[in-house]
Amino acid sequence: MTRFIAKRLGLGLITLWLLSVLVFFGSQVLPGDVARRVLGPFATQSAVNSLNHQLGTDKSVFVQYANWISGIFHGNLGTSVATRSSVSSIVFPALWHSAKLAILAFIIVVPFGIIGGVFAALKEGRFQDRLISVGGLSATTVPEFVWAVALILLFALLIPILPSTATPPPGSGFLTSVKFLILPALCLVFVLFGYIARMARAGTIEALDADYTRTAVIKGLPYSTVVRRHVLRNALLPTIAVVATQAGYLIGGLVAIELVFNYQGIGQVLYRAASQKDFPVLQSGVLIVGVVYLVATLLADLAYSLLNPRLRFESSA
Amino acid sequence: MMDERHAQVDAIRRRIGEVENDLVDAHAAGQIDRREFVRRGTVLGLSLSTLGVLAGCAQPNVAQVSPPQTKPPQPGGTIRAGIVAPAAALDPVMISDEGGLAVLGQTGQYLVWSDKYLNLRPVIAESWAHDHNGGVWTFKIRQGVHFSDGTPLTAEDVAATFNRLADPVVGSNALSNFAGVLSKGNTKATDPYTVQFTLDAPNGNFPYLVSSDNYNAVILPKDYHGGWDKTFIGTGPWKMQSFTPEQGVTYTRNAQYWGPKTVADRMQLTFYPEEQAQTLGIQGNQVDILAHYSVSGGRALITDPTIRTTQYRSSSHRQIHMRTDKEPFNDKRVRQAVGLLLDRRGMVEGLLATKSDYGNDSPFAPVFRSTDPSVPQRQQNVAQAKQLLEAAGRSSGVRAQLTTLTHFELPDLAQVVQNDVSDGGISLSISILDPGTYYGSSKFGTSPWLDSTMGITDYGHRGVPNLLLTAPLTSKGPWNAAHFKNPAYDKLVAQYVAALDLGAQRTAARKIQLLLLDETPVMFPYYYYFLTAARLNVSGEETTAMGHIDLSRAGFVA
Repeated sequence: MTRFIAKRLGLGLITLWLLSVLVFFGSQVLPGDVARRVLGPFATQSAVNSLNHQLGTDKSVFVQYANWISGIFHGNLGTSVATRSSVSSIVFPALWHSAKLAILAFIIVVPFGIIGGVFAALKEGRFQDRLISVGGLSATTVPEFVWAVALILLFALLIPILPSTATPPPGSGFLTSVKFLILPALCLVFVLFGYIARMARAGTIEALDADYTRTAVIKGLPYSTVVRRHVLRNALLPTIAVVATQAGYLIGGLVAIELVFNYQGIGQVLYRAASQKDFPVLQSGVLIVGVVYLVATLLADLAYSLLNPRLRFESSA
Repeated sequence: MMDERHAQVDAIRRRIGEVENDLVDAHAAGQIDRREFVRRGTVLGLSLSTLGVLAGCAQPNVAQVSPPQTKPPQPGGTIRAGIVAPAAALDPVMISDEGGLAVLGQTGQYLVWSDKYLNLRPVIAESWAHDHNGGVWTFKIRQGVHFSDGTPLTAEDVAATFNRLADPVVGSNALSNFAGVLSKGNTKATDPYTVQFTLDAPNGNFPYLVSSDNYNAVILPKDYHGGWDKTFIGTGPWKMQSFTPEQGVTYTRNAQYWGPKTVADRMQLTFYPEEQAQTLGIQGNQVDILAHYSVSGGRALITDPTIRTTQYRSSSHRQIHMRTDKEPFNDKRVRQAVGLLLDRRGMVEGLLATKSDYGNDSPFAPVFRSTDPSVPQRQQNVAQAKQLLEAAGRSSGVRAQLTTLTHFELPDLAQVVQNDVSDGGISLSISILDPGTYYGSSKFGTSPWLDSTMGITDYGHRGVPNLLLTAPLTSKGPWNAAHFKNPAYDKLVAQYVAALDLGAQRTAARKIQLLLLDETPVMFPYYYYFLTAARLNVSGEETTAMGHIDLSRAGFVA
């Protein structure tokens, strides 16, 4: 197991380094000039030159890359060229906001998705199965921003019981903060439910057909015990992988939802950084999302190997 | 009583200068209305009470320029406003966007306030006057004003503010306003409460350049060296209580403010990065006021019975430029034909829900009083356009590319233009770029904005047309996307800029309007209104077409 983790960490570091190169040099091809973006198209050239010099964006890209990487190794993510505040003070609060939304969405969608999928598998071919499968798939195909607008219209304007924004007033307590996050979390639930339920359903059907399940039934175990001990444990393996891969999407890819709900998550921060050519925020933000994604998949692999004896034994062999 | 008033008027007329007396004569002769008399008078430095006496009554007709009255607000409470998220660091010297301006304007103050009707109102300056030709302007500074850290404001702070803004090394955003007008070191404090501006060239509209029309002209302490977002230092009615970057600001009443205290106890500004979110925000009662919304992004608010929309005419517009030095638009008959093919009425009704004035292919928007309204409005005339194209040897058709950017209704406008000109046999292919690509380096040769054969560019509101006449249209203009070089035009613009009295400005304006209609290097199809939204239980907010929002008098109605 230790070797397995070490190997994954090593690969993760190489991936992050490649990501840093890609995001740094990739962002350089974005059109426009940094200071020009900050000052606007109608600023004088002398003002633009002066700001580029102050920001260090008039240096060569290799020098800028070296400065950035060196800063990261010293725990300094840099300074935003747009807002002049430290990248850490922008990225980490946004990351925390995204994490809160993702956690609430996961708390709702993971159990519902798994229960829905397992229930559909147990009722395979019947009305309940079709309702969950087709309903879940339909909900997934509707873009998240459409869900966002529809939910706001319904629950914030027509029946005003929930706020139309996701950012609570300053000084709000825990329950108020949760209340503000319900609508955006529901959007994610609608988008992810079908996906998770589908994986859980497929895994359950496969496990129900497996020899070990048949053996358990034949040896006289109650059906609920068979499902709980033998079916669910095996059926959930692919679902765990799916849930882990959604972590990256939930942490960095919710731009549309964050924009509609005016929520300062990492997706919105990265989107704004890209449109403003705010390289320090964009580069460090993408790198941090990459770290989150790698950690999430590593944890999923560990959980997968713990639940799957074959993998556990292979890795320890 | 009448004799007493005449004596008062005579005394004032002896005291004021020649230009001011011309203005009084023009008003007496009925050449300008009362509103324009007040507006021009304030530019020249006459106080409202003086203008009231000169106009023949105790006070000028203020009601005429006031917004539709709602119930007066009650003191107390927290007023919540939504604004577009600031695009860059909150540094008064550098701010160039509407969001940054709205934040800056709560604690920062200008020498002069340019209101929604383009009247100038004294703020930090109590009065101002010019020399014989408008080359030197002197401002008297209000006494008893303190910065939010308790430091008293003096003329030294004012002089340092403008010398900083005019310094090319600092690279302030105001340099484009001051280029050729005011140089570093030419603003001097002649005593603790008097500031003198010695201009590079006479300028009849100079007070606008030191007013709220110039984003960056808020008065800062003389020793300011950055870090404004930590203190929000200023002399205004609010003090910053808390600031969360990318999210918003909370303000409390500034107890030491020199003017009337704020109606509300507190005020919150919420930043919205996207228009749809702010529309849903006010509809969902998350904010009480939206400082600004566009028809393209907030059409639902116009008809929402729970929302009160206030609209002001503005000089915000779109410019459709045609390269005058390049095929096929190097023949002015082709450019005129394009102008005649545009269906401006369709644009105003379809794209802007009628919240707009028509443009007449010059920077002289209807909102500017120097605009000559007797110049005939260009109308759609397909037959005449075809004749012009035939005369230009283009009856077989014209092909060109129209380039624009993803910004509000611009992509839709490009399609409307494409459709309109096709009636005359002109085939346009459309290229829509993101703003960064479109503006590029904003230098000739490396900017689709400045290099495209035909393009559509957005221009914000200005209180006077000076910058719009020079930068995009004069031979050496840095934003001259049409590559228009016309010595007669340059000369007329120089005359307009130097003119101190309205009569001379209108004379030059008419000539410019006619010249531009004839040459048509740039089309100005419309000047859209500035729209502000407020919930029905709120009143007292004041916005301007520049994007300012003053909430010091705003509150909740009973």
